[in-house]
Amino acid sequence: MPTLDLKIERLERLVGRKLNIKELEYDLQWISLDLEDVNEEEQKIKVEYNPNRPDFSSPEGIARALKGYYEVELGLPSYTIFPGDIEMNVDPSVNRVRPYIVCGVIRDINLDEDEVATLMNIQEQLHWAVGRDRKKVAIGVHDLDKIVPPYRYLAVKPDSVSFVPLHGDGYPMNLEEILLLHEKGIEYAHILEGKEVYPLLLDSNDEVISFPPVINGILTTVTDDTKNLFLDLTGTDYKAINLALNILSTMLADTGAKIENVNVNYQGSMGQIITPNLDPTKWEVNIDYINDYVGLNLTETEMIKCFRKVRMDAKKSKQKGHLDIWVPAFRGDIIHPVDFTEDCAIGYGYFNLPLTIREGCIGQYHPIESFANKLRTIMIGAGYLEVLNFMLTNSEKNFNYMRKKFKKSEIIQIANPVSKEFDTARTAILPKLMETLLFNRSEEKPIRIFEVGDVILLKPKEETGAIRELHLSAVSYHENADFTEIRSTLDFIMMSLGYFNDFEIKPGKDETYIDGRYGEVFVKEIKIGEIGEIHPEVLLNFKLEFPASAFELNIQKLI
Amino acid sequence: MDIKLKKQVIEIFKVLKEKQADCKASDLAKELNIDYIVLMSSINDLMDVNLGRFKEDEIFQLSLNEEGLSYLKNGLPERQLLNILLERNLKEIEIEELLKSTKLESSIFYIGISNMKKNRWIAQSKATGESKIFLIADKFPETELEKFLKKFEKNDIINYSDLSKKELTQYNILNKRKLINKTKKIQRIISLTEKGKAIKLSEIEELKQISKITSEMLSSGTWKDYNLKPFDVTKPGPLLKAGKLHPMVNLINEIREIFISLGFTEIRGPIVESAFFNFDALFQPQDHPAREMHDTFYLNNPKIAKLPEKERVKAVKETHESGGNSGSLGWGYKWDEKIAKKTLLRTHTTATTIRRLAEYHRNNEAPPIKVFSIDRVFRNEKLDKSHLAEFTQIEGIVIGERVTLCDLIGVIKEFYNKIGFEKVITRPGFFPYTEPSMEIAVYYDKLGEWLEMGGSGIFRPEVTYPWGIENPIRVLAWGLGLERLAMLKYERKDIRDLYINPIKWLRQESY
Repeated sequence: MPTLDLKIERLERLVGRKLNIKELEYDLQWISLDLEDVNEEEQKIKVEYNPNRPDFSSPEGIARALKGYYEVELGLPSYTIFPGDIEMNVDPSVNRVRPYIVCGVIRDINLDEDEVATLMNIQEQLHWAVGRDRKKVAIGVHDLDKIVPPYRYLAVKPDSVSFVPLHGDGYPMNLEEILLLHEKGIEYAHILEGKEVYPLLLDSNDEVISFPPVINGILTTVTDDTKNLFLDLTGTDYKAINLALNILSTMLADTGAKIENVNVNYQGSMGQIITPNLDPTKWEVNIDYINDYVGLNLTETEMIKCFRKVRMDAKKSKQKGHLDIWVPAFRGDIIHPVDFTEDCAIGYGYFNLPLTIREGCIGQYHPIESFANKLRTIMIGAGYLEVLNFMLTNSEKNFNYMRKKFKKSEIIQIANPVSKEFDTARTAILPKLMETLLFNRSEEKPIRIFEVGDVILLKPKEETGAIRELHLSAVSYHENADFTEIRSTLDFIMMSLGYFNDFEIKPGKDETYIDGRYGEVFVKEIKIGEIGEIHPEVLLNFKLEFPASAFELNIQKLI
Repeated sequence: MDIKLKKQVIEIFKVLKEKQADCKASDLAKELNIDYIVLMSSINDLMDVNLGRFKEDEIFQLSLNEEGLSYLKNGLPERQLLNILLERNLKEIEIEELLKSTKLESSIFYIGISNMKKNRWIAQSKATGESKIFLIADKFPETELEKFLKKFEKNDIINYSDLSKKELTQYNILNKRKLINKTKKIQRIISLTEKGKAIKLSEIEELKQISKITSEMLSSGTWKDYNLKPFDVTKPGPLLKAGKLHPMVNLINEIREIFISLGFTEIRGPIVESAFFNFDALFQPQDHPAREMHDTFYLNNPKIAKLPEKERVKAVKETHESGGNSGSLGWGYKWDEKIAKKTLLRTHTTATTIRRLAEYHRNNEAPPIKVFSIDRVFRNEKLDKSHLAEFTQIEGIVIGERVTLCDLIGVIKEFYNKIGFEKVITRPGFFPYTEPSMEIAVYYDKLGEWLEMGGSGIFRPEVTYPWGIENPIRVLAWGLGLERLAMLKYERKDIRDLYINPIKWLRQESY
């Protein structure tokens, strides 16, 4: 989850009300913010916000919500957009690489140190939360007075243009060189991989403003003297770049600057668009629907107040029993009428919601889990200690350590494990019990352990290509562990499960066990498992010093 | 005076009285030819009646190491070299030549030469160009060091405290030459108390004491002739290696019972799952970061899963692209069936919940339906103190007509109360497939803190509509991690403990 540092003093200024940390500690949770950390000394807090609310990525954004919560200011926050005459001409060549751009101009900025830090931080956060790390949205912030309009957005051959990039060595580089050598170029080259042309922003003197989504030109570097900003947002998702522009420009407007719009001229059906466009989106929502969803019985007026508290506007609609709701342009998370239920509940206060109890339904255990518990009871009666292991395992331990061979094509293969320890899922429990013995080999003996759990088997014909199967495995480990002991245990289990005459053990051969002290377990002529004394080589593979005897049963066949 | 002792204890007491001096327990056991443990148990009996006692001394024992033993047999290197000269009747020899005529390793050879000089047996000179040694003594008596070494011919072990001041110097030389070991031992010294010294044997009566009643004694009645040795009932018995449930399974069973008592039915679903049920059916856009390789265990084998009935797949596709019939705007991108067919280890049990919704649709079921699962899920993470790649998720679901957020709060409070958390807060939260969403926090008395303990919400219409579950029928859901609960309950600091089975912990943990 993304986080944000907040200075209490700045928040107070923005909210227009005295705040204290104790109070915020309680209040923030009700507008969907988590308090992560408190610094009493410096009067700072760190909050965590949810990824569906990128408008919370600045103190200004959070202050808007708090003003509603404290009823300092209700309804849509209002912003004035001054008409501008700056033009951005979009060349159709960008359709091949990064089709969309929107722009804005911010005049008369007067940012203190803390606000400058916010401006840097909000870009980071928007790149991450809305932009999928610049793939969907990339943001450029420039000194407006260094460039001459009209501007052009176009795509060019990688080696056809050179300019001095920001954070470089101060020498001109062409686009290809930037991707190969520049720190940011290396980081973001993957976004342009396989493209024949790269996007570029030029001013009317053909000076490079930016090479999105990689790096700005040094020309437009923002300094302490910068008075006016030019914002460019490019990307592959038209909705997302507008959202990011709206969040960024409203944040700057809240610091006291003026928003001025830019004419972005597309060719073809899109035509001219004017951005930023901060018009709220209007929805019509049924009052009963919201009441019924949340479990309340609010009147029209009460519900209108709830929405105004979360900084939307709401009015009685022409349609009976409905509300017209206006959603601010910096909110990107409303895509369905259901999304208003949560905002209504936040406006009402989750702490005010009554709890109701619904009766009905009779509970039932899953038959497999019930059977597993029955087996546990029997095993504990036999004196065995239950253990619990991961299903994830390592193919070498699952097979080779047990003297078994495997073909990669016959086992579950994890494509991308972070840790090599886990490259497959277990096909048997016994290898995990052997690992448990290894881990505990200095404990007091005898050690008698068992596990009831699932193994995963490849079954190409099944829907997902594999099935889970319930197994029971047990092992006895001590100086005198032998076949007779484990056979007695198995007999006890089978008897307790109700198998007498239809259960038998037939001699066989298995690499894991000692020849002549191994048998296959049959119930009604169906093989359900193995039993025997563990082969000395297997014991040594697990660094064990005493004999062990064990069995493993496929319980699925008994249910 | 009425002192009763067992026959064997009386025998030992007698010997101690005759000795009239303290003696070492190990020597006495050897002398009496009895087991050391048996001896000490008799001494304990004497202590019980205040006739005997013992004290423990720390002693240091010396023994030669392998190299030291070889010198004991063959002489120290200086003596070995001297013998070569004497045997050949030489007064002088080039060092190189002497080195060739001995089997000693060169490093030890030079130690020998240097000690011969120290002993004033030889002098060394380079006057002729080659380095030569000359005998300068005519008698070569046993050195102090050799005398000390010889002591080990008779005794393998010599007590450090027995060394004279002279011998101590020699010990230090041997120690410097790394030929000797010094080891710490505990030695018990047995002595009689004043009372033990004073008492006459005739004052002690023989005790016919046994530790066990035999079947024969019972049938013959002779058990009456014996005294049963009393046990120290205050001492704990030896560890019982018994069978026992794993603490996690115990906790799982407790929670299962809570669900059952609230009317929930248990469900189980596949571990190897399709991206379709794990992500797409939950309205998770196909380019969402949470779907990426570094969070999810994707599989190379099996590689492709089958998708459910065509109409259901189409419904999910349309919901992603344009909202379908759910009333949503959708995500506005082109949905790709190939991505949905990818196989993976499920990252949450919600995949199984969706399968239950599919079943509900297929069987034309009617609400209310309450189901739960407590089952394994997987995340592609490195293991450490607070992260696992495989863990257990608890999830509860209610399908009902006109079920509300307030109903969800109701069932959550009841559930958490039954687990043992009296104070529960439900506050706004965010989960991609629920709306409205709630975070659950509980007050944990032991820490005096509010802890985040799960998430909840009402499934979005985009999630339920493809399965024919349409307003006013809605699905409430909540979930939490079992491990967090287990770590609080069993006070574990390292989450890995829950799945690596430290047997000591398993044997001791209380439920």
